[in-house]
Amino acid sequence: MTQGAEPPTDEELVEAVLEGDRERFGVLVDRYQGRLVSYLFRLLRNVDDAHDLAQDVLVKVYQVLDRFDAQFKFSTWLFRVAQNAAIDQIRRRRLKLVSLRQDDDEGEGRDWDLPSPERGPYGEMRNRERGDAIQEAIDALPWEYRELILLRHFGELPYEEIAHLKQMPLGTVKNKLFRGRQMLKEKLQDFLED
Amino acid sequence: MTRPDHSTYREWLNLDADGALPAESRARLDEHLAACPECRAERAELFALSNLLQRSSVPVRPDFRQQVMSSLPSAGWESRSPRTWAFPAAVFALLAGVAAFTMGGRGAHSSLLSALTAVAGMFRASAVAGAGLISASWKGLGMAFAATLSSPMSLGAFGVFVLCVNLVLVSLLRRRRSGAAEAGRERSRR
Repeated sequence: MTQGAEPPTDEELVEAVLEGDRERFGVLVDRYQGRLVSYLFRLLRNVDDAHDLAQDVLVKVYQVLDRFDAQFKFSTWLFRVAQNAAIDQIRRRRLKLVSLRQDDDEGEGRDWDLPSPERGPYGEMRNRERGDAIQEAIDALPWEYRELILLRHFGELPYEEIAHLKQMPLGTVKNKLFRGRQMLKEKLQDFLED
Repeated sequence: MTRPDHSTYREWLNLDADGALPAESRARLDEHLAACPECRAERAELFALSNLLQRSSVPVRPDFRQQVMSSLPSAGWESRSPRTWAFPAAVFALLAGVAAFTMGGRGAHSSLLSALTAVAGMFRASAVAGAGLISASWKGLGMAFAATLSSPMSLGAFGVFVLCVNLVLVSLLRRRRSGAAEAGRERSRR
């Protein structure tokens, strides 16, 4: 285990947990909870569901921690489990990933409150608009771009890990991310100057 | 050195926004940006987009970590031991030592050889016994299968048995699913 100022790597933490130091799993939870919840939120579009599923994913990962292959990245494994779990949940609940408005019509509530320095009625309205616009722009992306954009910008995975997770050539990952970003930029043009 | 085309600069701008631009490309990109307003605007937009997406991250509930840690079950691997090769290696060394001791009286070299032979013999005996057990199990299974197929009555009884087992499994699965759904609803209410 690394000592001193160097924080332990994910793989070292996993090894420590497997050797009986259960509390070290908490360090991994701290490390990934923000990214995991944000990533799942963008897929499920509900804060409570995102938290619940993130918890389920972490518990599931803990249960099979001994199957983790240390030659791969822990984050790749974690987000693969998370993505599969989210897809299962979306299928089960028949969430439609086409439009937030449509969801509102059907009674599927949006449920988030974006952190922002903007205060007051106008600021809150602007935040709300921005949150809606981001979600709509993400939902409008074809799945092959959306999943990569979410893994990169909310899961914060590097290109190499995304390529490994999706079993795609690195060049394809880069290309799809660039194209996905172009689409997002076009949709979110009004908010890029805020 | 050949001059990169515009699509290459666009690719570099994306890499730059992700913090993944190689150092050797940085200087050339900066040089290009100084002379290309279009790419400067593209760069500003890409960074604004990254910033916008980052700002839209969802804050995690303060008690999330505690909830995860308190809901960790005792995983199967926790009770499985040994988890490393240390224990089997120690057992092997102990067996070898015992074998060497019981064969004592000879030279050190022949003692070690005898010990290894004894341990190898022990593993061989275990393998033979295991193979015999598997073989006997297969024979027993074959006999049971033959007996089941021997008459329509026993075949029918076997069919009813399989049906009952399936019904029990389906009801267990349904109960588990409804329990999980209830737990999910409970969490949502919370």
